[in-house]
Amino acid sequence: MEPGRWWNLARMRFSSLVRRGRVDEELDKELRFHLDQQIEENLAAGMPLSEARFAAMRRLGGVAQIQEECRDMRRMNYAHDLVQDLRYAARTLVKERGFAALVALTLGLGIGANSAIFSVIDGVLLKKLPYRQPDRIVRVFFSSNTYPKFPLNPFDFRDFRTRSRSFQALAAFTRSDVQLSGSGEPVRLAAFRVTAGYFDVLGVTPALGREFDQSDEVPGNGNALILSDRTWRSEFGAAPDIIGRKITLDSQPATVVGVMPPGTEHPGNSYHALPYGNSVDAWRPFTFEGDPNDRGSHFLEVIGRLKPGVPRAQAQAELNTLLPQIASEHGGYRGWHMLAVELYREIVGANERLLLVLLGAVGLVLMIACANVANLLMARATARQREIAVRSALGARQSRLVRQMLTESLLIALAGGALGLVFAAGGVKALVSLLPADFPRVDSIHVNAAVLGFTLLVALAAGFAFGLVPALEAARAYPQQGLREGARGSTDTGLHLRLRSVLVVAEVSLASILLAGAGLMLRSFVNLLRMDPGFRPEHVLTADLTLPITEYKTPAAARAFEDSLITNLSSAPAVKYAGIGTDLPWTGYDENIGGFTIEGKNPPPGEEFHGRYHAATPDYFRALGIPLERGRFFTKADNQGAPQVMIINSTMARFYWPRRDALGARIAFSDTPKEKDWMTVVGIVGDVKDTPTSRGAEPAFWWPALQVPFVMNNGVMSVAIRSDSDASQLANVLRREVHHLDPALAVYDLRLLDQITDANLASARFAFFLVGLFATLAVGLAAVGTYGVIAYSVGRRNHEFGLRMALGASRWDVVRLVFRRGVTLAAVGVTVGLLAGLGLARVLRSLIYEVSPADPLTFGAVALLVFSVAALACYLPARRATEADPMTALRAE
Amino acid sequence: MSKPSDLIQGTLDLLILKTLSLEPKHGWAIAKRIEQVSHEALQITQGALYPALHRLEHQGWIRARWRTTETGREAKFYELTRAGRVQLEKELAEWERLSNAVGLIVRMV
Repeated sequence: MEPGRWWNLARMRFSSLVRRGRVDEELDKELRFHLDQQIEENLAAGMPLSEARFAAMRRLGGVAQIQEECRDMRRMNYAHDLVQDLRYAARTLVKERGFAALVALTLGLGIGANSAIFSVIDGVLLKKLPYRQPDRIVRVFFSSNTYPKFPLNPFDFRDFRTRSRSFQALAAFTRSDVQLSGSGEPVRLAAFRVTAGYFDVLGVTPALGREFDQSDEVPGNGNALILSDRTWRSEFGAAPDIIGRKITLDSQPATVVGVMPPGTEHPGNSYHALPYGNSVDAWRPFTFEGDPNDRGSHFLEVIGRLKPGVPRAQAQAELNTLLPQIASEHGGYRGWHMLAVELYREIVGANERLLLVLLGAVGLVLMIACANVANLLMARATARQREIAVRSALGARQSRLVRQMLTESLLIALAGGALGLVFAAGGVKALVSLLPADFPRVDSIHVNAAVLGFTLLVALAAGFAFGLVPALEAARAYPQQGLREGARGSTDTGLHLRLRSVLVVAEVSLASILLAGAGLMLRSFVNLLRMDPGFRPEHVLTADLTLPITEYKTPAAARAFEDSLITNLSSAPAVKYAGIGTDLPWTGYDENIGGFTIEGKNPPPGEEFHGRYHAATPDYFRALGIPLERGRFFTKADNQGAPQVMIINSTMARFYWPRRDALGARIAFSDTPKEKDWMTVVGIVGDVKDTPTSRGAEPAFWWPALQVPFVMNNGVMSVAIRSDSDASQLANVLRREVHHLDPALAVYDLRLLDQITDANLASARFAFFLVGLFATLAVGLAAVGTYGVIAYSVGRRNHEFGLRMALGASRWDVVRLVFRRGVTLAAVGVTVGLLAGLGLARVLRSLIYEVSPADPLTFGAVALLVFSVAALACYLPARRATEADPMTALRAE
Repeated sequence: MSKPSDLIQGTLDLLILKTLSLEPKHGWAIAKRIEQVSHEALQITQGALYPALHRLEHQGWIRARWRTTETGREAKFYELTRAGRVQLEKELAEWERLSNAVGLIVRMV
């Protein structure tokens, strides 16, 4: 088609839309011309003027109709209609301000909750990770049935790095905090040791200087440092000449070689974990120390960038063909394989399920809100029946009426959406403050364009969802009926009531689903609160210290420090027990498990005996409140000269000595133990699980701190002090005693044990709080909906109730009639809801603790609660029904 | 009196296009011309004519222009566009085909 034609068409259509007045005027003129011609013809045929005019007019027919049809032909009516509908809708809504505000508020809450949760999902799940081509980054793990994600041995890693062809770059990292001393109090830096090319894997280039290369990995060269942007600013005043500066780390000289740009996010790690995000202060080179043939020690976390076009599975398969080669050169590793996991998966982890469940929950709330609004609209449609009847009698087509009412719904929905955005902005702030501390990517949660788009979409969808049925139902009414019936209700109320009842049933069932979910979360949370943690968290102060290996070169030096600190602390006022251990309960764990020999037992072929290993001073268990089940705690006499002893946990005792008393049993950390290598089990203590939701405790054992043959845990030690009263008062005592012994030591991670247990419940509390909140909203909305329908049906039957009472029915009979209706609705709703809930609860399995997803108690309680609320919703209408006046009813007949 | 709605759908369009193929005309003239040529067999009501004209205009087959008639009055004249001529050819061919087919059946039965 020639462009000229398109241009003409476009111009014409535009003018018929915008210059509507002129187009109508022209049509008028055209028709008047036609009329005049007809009159002339009639005159020519000999009619007198008045008759000629009348005949011509009659012939022309309804001018308005022709005009309307011409407009229809111009096909721009939709736009005109829309403007007209919008104006009409706006007028109607302004006239019914109260109603409109109620609906917009209901929707605003529903939409706002959805937008708030979506903001979190957008920030945490949808936004790309801030690395170059993040979908090519994978985390690599060692894996077995017992330990699905285990760290690697440094030399194994080095072999993989050399031999693998699937990776563009492969790097390893391990947590290794440092103490930066300069002017003033020493500063603790959250730091990692990383291998060459670590930042290349992430695809982040240093803002200043360079990243580590393989020469930094050579033992003895490890004293370089890369700073985070934050540390560079806070500790070095953003000095531009920082590269090459000599600083003191752990009392050793070191050189700054690089500064990372802001937004260099830590990809998260599992062992001595720092959460994903802006959590790392500095990086140091990892050096391959020790004997390359000794591969028992596993502590490196591995991350790699896949070559372009190499799928994750192929890289994993390659690692698994390399593993037996490497293993055959150094022995061992039966039952182990390699695992490559997308970084995104690893970061998002279990939170994905939680967030999707929350989105589902708010989605249900919005559906209930929509059903409720649909119900309100239908109630209003009854009141508007006359208006609609008049309009349709005046020639409005049914489709036009539906369109007009939908426009009204969409307008309200958009108002609700706008209100929702306001709620969402507040809601997101509240959500972020409620999120567990270790939640990934909290910094990237914002109300942004995506959230705006989502809100608009949800608002429009909601507008259609709640507007369509009432609009269709209202437009169906016949004009004659509406006009004729006047004051009395329409004969079609039967269907109307049925539709509204279906909506209420839907609301009740959706609310029941949510309530069931909230009930399961509540049970789970209560179980967590009531669970015996295995220690007594009240009145305990904890803190961490790190003895620089350079200062405390021998185990003896470290032991001397520990011993003096404990002695001094124990004699301080208000201190009941003071202990030092390698770690604290529920603060993460080291999957590094020692392989050992058990006297008189042979391990199954290809496997070895293992357990979590720790060290502790005599009062460590008493300070934490871990109970002694049998035997004894360590004493000061369990020292270097004394026979070697150990304490094991209850799980280890059951696991390795199922048929005999574990007390007195002996194990050794040598494949061919001599008599002096044997350690005797002198005590069995209660189990403490890795995290509150772990299925069970792992086998674990403790060395007496005074007998540990090496410096454990890189010199990191945890102090626990139990007080009679407020343990937070002890912080200054601890600082004073530490600095009394070594003024250069930083005391960090000062926390009450209560705070640690609390942080571990944060995730469950968050889930329960939100689902509970949504369920409460849902029940409230469903109650209002039920009330609306019962009240409507009572109003409609008022006359009937009056008659019944006039004929001798008691008030009680009438009340029963009303309640029967409400309870029937509730019963159908609950049945449908709980059946659906049984099906859906399975998705909660990983989020709930020691509750069956089909927990009968929860489901029973939900049914009871819904019935009670339904009964409550019936109460007022029932009372009104009993006030129906028999005399009025009789007189009306 | 046969109303256009009695005509086969789309026939009015054909009649208008055909009538305009000789020279531009205003609405009144179009209606008159159809009536005359059909010996008053076809009477076009304004209620059908003007919407049809507006539809054809919006499809780009005819174009409207205000001009002065012989009697000195302003009237809206419609003329065929190039696309309108193509459309007329198409509709004529279609009409031939249809009327032949109908004729065959009517004569045979």
